[in-house]
Amino acid sequence: MSVDVIMPQMGESIFEGTITKWLKKPGDRIERDEPLFEISTDKVDAEIPAPSAGVLKEIKVAEGQTVPIQTVVAVIDTAGASAAVPAAVPAPSPAPPSTRPSAQPSTPASTQEKAAAPPAPVPSPAAPPPPQVSALTSGASPAAPAVRGNGQKIRSSPLVRRMAKEHNLNLAGIEGSGAGGRISKKDILAAMQTKPAAAAPASAAPFATPSVTPAAGPRPALPAGGGALVHPVLENAVPRERMYFGNYEAHPMTAMRQRIAEHMVASKHVSPHVYSIDEADMTRIAKIRASSKSAFETKYGTKLTFMPFFVRACVEGLRAFPTVNASVDGTTVVLHGDINVGIAVALDWGLIVPVLKNAEEKNFLGLARGINDVAERARAKKLKPEEVQEGTFSITNPGVYGGLMGLPVINQPNVAILGIGAIQKRAMVIDDAISIRSMVYLTLSYDHRVVDGAVAHQFVGKVKSYLESWNEEIL
Amino acid sequence: MAETTYLEAIRQALFEEMDRDPAVVLLGEDVGVYGGAFKVSAGLLERFGWERVIDTPISETGIVGAAVGMGYAGLRPVVEMQFIDFIACCFNQITNVAAKSHYLWGAPVPVVLRGPCGGGVHGGPFHSANPEMYFVHTPGLKVVCPATAYDAKGLLKSAIRDNNPVLFFEHKFLYRRIKEDLPEGDFAVPIGKAVVRRQGRDLTILSYAAMLYTSLEAAAQLEKEGIRAEVIDLRTLLPLDRDTILASVARTNKLLVVHEDTRTGGIAGEIAALVTESAFEDLDGPIRRVTSLDTPVPYAESLENYFLPNVAKVVAAARELAHY
Amino acid sequence: MALTLTREQHLELYYFLRLNRELEDQMARLFRQNKILGGLYSSRGQEAVSVGTAYALGPGDWIAPMIRNIGALLVRGFKPRDVLTQHMARFTSPTQGKDGTSHFGDLKVRHVVSPTSVLGDLIPVMTGIAMAGRYLGQNVVAMTWIGDGGTSTGAFHEGLNLAAAQKAALVLIVENNQWAYSTPVARQVPLRDLAGRARAYGIESAIVDGNDVIAVERAARKAVAQARAGQGPVLIEAKTMRMMGHAQHDSAEYVPKEMLALWKQRDPLDRFEKFLTRNRLWDAKTKKEIVARIASEIRADVEYAENSPFPPAELAAQGVYCEGCHTVEADWKRPKQEVMPPRSNVKPEWRIRASGETKAPRHSVHGVHSVKGDQAGAKPKSQGKSLRSRPSAKAER
Repeated sequence: MSVDVIMPQMGESIFEGTITKWLKKPGDRIERDEPLFEISTDKVDAEIPAPSAGVLKEIKVAEGQTVPIQTVVAVIDTAGASAAVPAAVPAPSPAPPSTRPSAQPSTPASTQEKAAAPPAPVPSPAAPPPPQVSALTSGASPAAPAVRGNGQKIRSSPLVRRMAKEHNLNLAGIEGSGAGGRISKKDILAAMQTKPAAAAPASAAPFATPSVTPAAGPRPALPAGGGALVHPVLENAVPRERMYFGNYEAHPMTAMRQRIAEHMVASKHVSPHVYSIDEADMTRIAKIRASSKSAFETKYGTKLTFMPFFVRACVEGLRAFPTVNASVDGTTVVLHGDINVGIAVALDWGLIVPVLKNAEEKNFLGLARGINDVAERARAKKLKPEEVQEGTFSITNPGVYGGLMGLPVINQPNVAILGIGAIQKRAMVIDDAISIRSMVYLTLSYDHRVVDGAVAHQFVGKVKSYLESWNEEIL
Repeated sequence: MAETTYLEAIRQALFEEMDRDPAVVLLGEDVGVYGGAFKVSAGLLERFGWERVIDTPISETGIVGAAVGMGYAGLRPVVEMQFIDFIACCFNQITNVAAKSHYLWGAPVPVVLRGPCGGGVHGGPFHSANPEMYFVHTPGLKVVCPATAYDAKGLLKSAIRDNNPVLFFEHKFLYRRIKEDLPEGDFAVPIGKAVVRRQGRDLTILSYAAMLYTSLEAAAQLEKEGIRAEVIDLRTLLPLDRDTILASVARTNKLLVVHEDTRTGGIAGEIAALVTESAFEDLDGPIRRVTSLDTPVPYAESLENYFLPNVAKVVAAARELAHY
Repeated sequence: MALTLTREQHLELYYFLRLNRELEDQMARLFRQNKILGGLYSSRGQEAVSVGTAYALGPGDWIAPMIRNIGALLVRGFKPRDVLTQHMARFTSPTQGKDGTSHFGDLKVRHVVSPTSVLGDLIPVMTGIAMAGRYLGQNVVAMTWIGDGGTSTGAFHEGLNLAAAQKAALVLIVENNQWAYSTPVARQVPLRDLAGRARAYGIESAIVDGNDVIAVERAARKAVAQARAGQGPVLIEAKTMRMMGHAQHDSAEYVPKEMLALWKQRDPLDRFEKFLTRNRLWDAKTKKEIVARIASEIRADVEYAENSPFPPAELAAQGVYCEGCHTVEADWKRPKQEVMPPRSNVKPEWRIRASGETKAPRHSVHGVHSVKGDQAGAKPKSQGKSLRSRPSAKAER
């Protein structure tokens, strides 16, 4: 019996994933939940475990290829090694499209023949089945799916559909920058840049910048594709012609970088940001941490950072001011009953915000463990998709890199984000005497649609007072 | 060479062709002693005499019919319509006699029908028409709409030398507004060839006659916004230069057609059909039109301005298309 | 009346009349055999008009026939096979199957302009040919035909007016066959005689018995001579009768029986046969020979036409434009220098003789009317006759 291995949906807004590495090859024996392949998506990079034990019978999607979620990427023969006839591994990209097996079978029938299994019900090609259906085959061509993974109709143009077909690009994975999110020529050109493996230069020639450009002087021609704009919100502030001068290198954004850019622009566009700044005296906490650090780490086997203190204080603040722990849906304010704190983790290749779920239920140790765990796994690309979802509030920590303070951009769909500056000893006036204290700037960026200044300042004040009067045992 | 107006360029073509070939004759209303209502034929009678520059009765059917007969006899008559609006009077001679002649019985009709067309001069509903599409719909005719003095001269020469009936639409708005340095000596511009007037890569604006200038002005404005429009001057509407149109669409992937003719049944519709048939997969957006309204040409300035395409309308349509 | 034609010419006239009749009878049979598709228009009863008028022309002259002028085509040298293949839509026809009926012509040899179905169209066209002929020094006459109904068209007026203004060598035969399709002439034109139209254009006109081929030929010969002499266009009204329906499909029940009976008495073939006999221009043997010749020609040409292929389908897409397949070349019969600078130079001004009258001028009321006017513009200079001024220069208003 065969079991299909599916490209998982790594987040609500994720509709495609790129296979970065296969950890097994056809014919290999695998155990259930044994890491089978690695993927990279717009939100997370992750190792995907095998859905069942058996022999890896066939790999359908080669490394470097991007396919829509729910695509069958491999087949496992659960009957055991004896039944397994390893199929050819698809050539790793870049590979000429003609020799490269389609990311999806060209017809459901051919899959069934190869699988040598009783025919399974074949879902309609035009309508991808709901996510909970695990074994499925989409008959739609990967080049031109009619709908995105989220069921949205993909709007493009005849040119874009032709280019996608010629370059084996999946439109479902390309954000449209045109009116109504339509995928335009420049979007697909950008996609071709970010996926050079799929681009076929010879046939791309018709879309290249015309050599007849009147202004073309001695300077090098502009890169085709208009700067890899992928999302409608990512518009150039000035004509791109004014960006390329002198010596330059043009680097296409990674998918993650594009996603961050889009997210930031969208957040600034949607939420009227207001900022409240306060400072907290961390002297007491700094002393507790300094005195308990090694004991804590010895006892619990996890690092003691300042972050759990801040998270703990925020939980108190959020409990007191629930409108800060909210989302905005048009004219509806969604007050979250859970306090799920997103913690921004800087990566070499970008930024990710894993979410510590139900922080209000956790004690200090639980917070500390949870924070360290998601941060480490974020850096190791081992986050699960649900671990970057459902945040209700975020904390970012520019102070780690020495920043005195930062004014962060709200992480949608939150309505507030707390920025924590560097903890620094400063001369403070206390009771008319100058005293040296460990100080930190707390900056709250909040969405003025629902959070007013009074609430924001009281919230920050609550966090501040909780930190300054810390009285929890941590050991 | 001194700056030559569009009108003078046409006059020069007539002079030079009549000098070159005694088979070329001119006939029309008030073309002789008066030199034509717009003075396009001024001086021709003096030089070429009564037999070659013929003042006719007000009789468009008679004039065109006679020209066809002269063509059958081996002459190359040029007919002036005093205003192109009046060409409707001789529609039958053009479409039933001249246009079908070669196809049906192998009799070429080397006749040029030329006259002032177009609005923007407050000529009112009977002196501003753009009736080219009646004739573009007629197999056997050639329809030429020059925009520049160079083309006016070169295309008229080609038209006179052509063995087929050529309708030569002179835009009266351009008659004295367009001035160019023309090269010395004989030159002809081939019929059926469009030309790229401005290069760009974001969209193609196809136009002809006076609207070429509107389109070029719009393109200059669009460039300031970072939109590079390729502007193509069709020059000939029939036969249409498919290759130039399709090549440009292949470069820019978006097409806007601008014409002063009214909307329904204008050449834009035909071009849209051509491009969707032949280059559908080059399209990155819908084909858009900026045209006059589907009304007669109104007289009052405010009405005519509203009726006609202008730079702002072209810019708006191009901008929308560029960001589509 | 003294004969103006030779015996051979009389017999030739008969040959054409009879050929016209027999050929159309044959085509009516082919039509019923479904071998002729589309329209088939009969000139039965009107043959003398076609044959007699065309017979008066010289070899360089031009004609543009109408639908019922197959006789004129035969006189100008087209053969029954041309008419047959044309009607039968064969590839071998003059238009290779692109058009039917008598819609064909020949610019180079026979000087025949193909008719269109739009009545009156060719009057201005033939005016232009006459103007060109004068310009080229060819001394040719252009002749065309129009039915009684067609005299009401704008093209009739514009063509004739232009011809008159230009004093073009145009002979217009108004073939009054009493019926415009189903409508009698009286309901079309409020004139007893269509020749009366001519007066509006200040041109010569004549009325002739259209069923008398000799009378027709004489009137036409005179008109052609006048036109050739530069006296301007001439209109001849030939009174005749359409003996069949408008076309094969039309049984013409709207035509009173007595009218048909009357005109049957005037059948042009019968009358001409009697004329030939009366004038001892032939005998039974001659007639038999002519009839046999015609029968044999038609038989051969029907066979030829029936064995001719239909045009290849793709021909439909060809020939819209002349792309070098035909040459446009004028046949100059005068020195080109006469029309080129400096000899063509003139002073561009009108000479107005009369500055304006207020009294109604006297003019004749009935019948043929002659305009005593300038001979202006009648002929090119090289013909040396009476042309002291240029056409338009002496216009009088």
